[in-house]
Amino acid sequence: MSAGLAIAAPRDLAALRALMAEGPLVFLAGGTDALVSGRNLPVAGRLVDLSRVAGLAFIDSAGADIRIGAATTVAALAADPGLSARLPALAQAAALCGAVQIRNRATLGGNIANAAPAADLTPVLLAAQARLALTLPGGARAEVALDGFTPLPGTLITEVILPGTALLPHSAFAKLGPRRELTIARLNLAALAEYDQGRFGAVRLVAGALGPRPRRLPRAEVALAGQVLDAVTLRGYLAALSAEVEAAIPGRASLAWKRRAIAGPGLEVIAGIAGLAPRDALFDTAFGVSFGAVPA
Amino acid sequence: MNQVACRVPLVDGAAKATGALRFTADLLADPANAGLLHGALIFSPHPHARVLQVETAAALALPGVHAVYWHGNTPANRYNSSIWFAGQQAPADEQMFAATARHIGDRVALVLAETEALARAAAALVVVCYAAMPATLTPEAALAEGAMPAALKTFSHGDTDAAFAGAAVVIEASVSTPRSHHCAIEPHVCLARPEPGGRVLILSPCQSVFAVQAVVACALGLPPERIRVAKTPIGGSFGGKAEPILDPLCAYAALALQRPVLICLNRHETFTATRTRAAMQGRMRVALAADGRILARDTEVLVDVGAYVTGGNYLPGSMLQRLVRLYDVGAERYRGRAVTTNTLPTGAFRGYGSPQIHALAEIALDRAAQQLGMDPLAIRLRNIVAPGAVDPWQGLDLGNARGRDCLVRGAAAFDWPARWRADPGQGRWRRGVGLACATHINGCYPGFEEETTATLRLRSDGRVELICALHDLGCGAETTMAQIAAQMLGLEARAIVIVPTDTDTCPYDLGTRASRLTYICGEAVRRAGAALALAICRTAGLEMNTASDSLRLAAGQVAAAAGGGAALSLADLAARTAARGASLPSATETYRAGANPSSYAAHFAAVEVDTLTGVVRVTDYLAAHDLGRAINPMLVEGQIHGGIQIGLGYALLEDVAIDPASGRVGGASFAHYTLANAPEMPPIRVLLVEEGEPTGPFGAKAVGEIATVPVAPALVNAVNHALATGLGNLPLTPERVLAALQDPPWLARAAG
Repeated sequence: MSAGLAIAAPRDLAALRALMAEGPLVFLAGGTDALVSGRNLPVAGRLVDLSRVAGLAFIDSAGADIRIGAATTVAALAADPGLSARLPALAQAAALCGAVQIRNRATLGGNIANAAPAADLTPVLLAAQARLALTLPGGARAEVALDGFTPLPGTLITEVILPGTALLPHSAFAKLGPRRELTIARLNLAALAEYDQGRFGAVRLVAGALGPRPRRLPRAEVALAGQVLDAVTLRGYLAALSAEVEAAIPGRASLAWKRRAIAGPGLEVIAGIAGLAPRDALFDTAFGVSFGAVPA
Repeated sequence: MNQVACRVPLVDGAAKATGALRFTADLLADPANAGLLHGALIFSPHPHARVLQVETAAALALPGVHAVYWHGNTPANRYNSSIWFAGQQAPADEQMFAATARHIGDRVALVLAETEALARAAAALVVVCYAAMPATLTPEAALAEGAMPAALKTFSHGDTDAAFAGAAVVIEASVSTPRSHHCAIEPHVCLARPEPGGRVLILSPCQSVFAVQAVVACALGLPPERIRVAKTPIGGSFGGKAEPILDPLCAYAALALQRPVLICLNRHETFTATRTRAAMQGRMRVALAADGRILARDTEVLVDVGAYVTGGNYLPGSMLQRLVRLYDVGAERYRGRAVTTNTLPTGAFRGYGSPQIHALAEIALDRAAQQLGMDPLAIRLRNIVAPGAVDPWQGLDLGNARGRDCLVRGAAAFDWPARWRADPGQGRWRRGVGLACATHINGCYPGFEEETTATLRLRSDGRVELICALHDLGCGAETTMAQIAAQMLGLEARAIVIVPTDTDTCPYDLGTRASRLTYICGEAVRRAGAALALAICRTAGLEMNTASDSLRLAAGQVAAAAGGGAALSLADLAARTAARGASLPSATETYRAGANPSSYAAHFAAVEVDTLTGVVRVTDYLAAHDLGRAINPMLVEGQIHGGIQIGLGYALLEDVAIDPASGRVGGASFAHYTLANAPEMPPIRVLLVEEGEPTGPFGAKAVGEIATVPVAPALVNAVNHALATGLGNLPLTPERVLAALQDPPWLARAAG
């Protein structure tokens, strides 16, 4: 470690903001990406450990808006009953993030700031039209939409706000990686929806690992919105999901697989929203006819 | 029996679990290693390039940097890192530092400094001037260029052409297996320090101290007696540490600088600069009679052994050796070729050719069964060798070959017939079952010096010391040997003190390879145990004034075999013997193998395939193994579970994935090289067939390597059963599985 690097571990927000007024900082929360890869660590300047700042880790789901401190761990998101009741997709995504040890250290703000294309929490946050409370270099505060937000050095995410007006009654998250657990998403999908008595109302769908940023899937939303959940709707929805993948990653080597594979998480989020088992017979009816091996 | 066939815990288990056991990298604070220097390697970024110049001035200017070695300032002795003993003939195409780098990750230079961080920082300041050369990155390209294969093995037995002409059915299968990486948790590491008399001591987590000695002697151009090698506890190998990679460099630097030197690779370097399992492309034609008898096989395999030959010249022959030990086949034609390319070198990895050739043969056999409309179980029962069969290539007796028992008992326990007939389903998830058989060798007989020497000696504290060059790779070999010795001496395994393996104190042994440890070293220890028991009884007879042949050893005592009378503890016997000034009883036995029987296995798997995503989930697994007798059933089960974990990754997940355009390793981290972790593992049942091998210690034969061999074909066969596909290119990634299935209706409609 270079002698040029100073480390600070402020104990409260006031001390943190005082540090921010003094000059440029590099923030480290759980460190689950930066410390493992090593390459993101600065060799000079001031590194601030966010994990001990009081008041930066909380989940407040009692008000109209859900407010979550940016240093809240992924494990805490997965375990919070209030959050699970109002936005189950976020708790589900958190439970599928990394390994137990990673979830115990990794934070909500870190998942946003790290901005990995395959991040698991971000698609849910985008589908929920999340807003971010920021403290800018120098100490000024701002609130911005997550959609379009680009993390900048020295800018601190302090809070994630999930506006109550944007939450929908049902939500679900599904993920497809090289293996079931401790895996980086090759595709993930978040859905928020109105669903009542077998019919969809408004639907928001966001997919991750389809290009550099998570991506809203408007064609697939249209295929569901206002429709009855039946085999015809599902086939239209699955075709729309494939069209979304084709639009997102034209020419990519993974296209041939992802345009088909997205049907898997696609049906799983529908099951979550409709309160059905992923193996409910309804989903097999979407096949229409059985398909099998490519003829030799 | 109170030790053999018992679930004796690992003799070093508590030390491992508590962290008391010190691995090589833990030795840096040892007072004997005061003044330790750390090495950091510089690797070629080019798949093929001459190393013109290495600019070292900036690195050497840093305080605490002691040396930068490269081919311009070190001996250029050619060697082959896979040799097992001095003078073994093998293509010597390696040197400590490449003058011409032959793959991305080839060793170009080594920086020695006071700390690892400093060594790595200095390495970043070294400038290497390369002259890039055209690279051969695939085995097809190597063949097209007309280079001589590194190895060519052909074999013909019986009238193959006539058998094909008269066959009821002929099938052909093409199978490719990927390169795979060992993924030992401990990265490659070596520590060396100078010793008096111009000698060097190498502390190495290796598979043979004598192999390390022989390779380092070649590389340094020194007589072997100047090189002392001691084995350190090993944090996993699976063959990956069979070839000394760092040891020559480490020893050279320690001698040149007269300081202890530690080189420890990081994870990325272990992935990109050590060894892998060789990839294989195979094609097999099988001629069958209408009743399922295999009349003939015609097999063609091509293996890419990477940038250096290492042990790759043995690989086509090893594959043939394993191929012809499983079924009774009337006529056999085989051609195996190995070629070198400008890619990561290959080497030993659990089974050494066996997983590749069995993947080809067992996937092909399922295709044959399908053509004939036969149950895959029935076709195997029709053809599997019987006890006492003789292999057609080497003419060796295969011993008490109990493959049939594995099939029959395994199938019954798995409920195979009903599960094979069950409907795979028509919905999103399809279910299938698959099985595969395998065989593997027991040692190196009739090649090489297949013998070992064990000494057992009574200590003054009543325990018994075992001197034998054992190389426990973490699977419990020392425990197994202690059980065998203890069984012969009426002791508990923990009363056997195993002398650490060291070229200065142990007689020669080939090391842990070729599934030879329990079968060969175990028999030497058993014989030494029998001899020491006699010697102890003779000594005790004098002390007890009794005929020694009336005595026996039990519960740590010498007592009358008939029961009753006085008993003498071994501790008391040792004390009295020492008090008389007599030497303590000791016995040395050299065991030279006269046989190489086969071990057998049949594995049964159930899978569920998601036809939307292509993801395969293994839902149930049963492994039946003919291992003669389990010395320690608990360790045997552990070996089998671990073998299934490696085989499952081989079938479905793992690929070193060398880019055929750039030569770069794609799977160079645990994020990009996907191992099966605990949630991927199915419930596993292990069924042991213990019919006894007459030439093995207590009837035992090997299980270590074979445990992983049938896994991949069993899983591939299960997926093909579920989907009615003919998949044969491993691993069966979701992409490959979906590519074998038609587009689902909503996509077919969208396309239309």
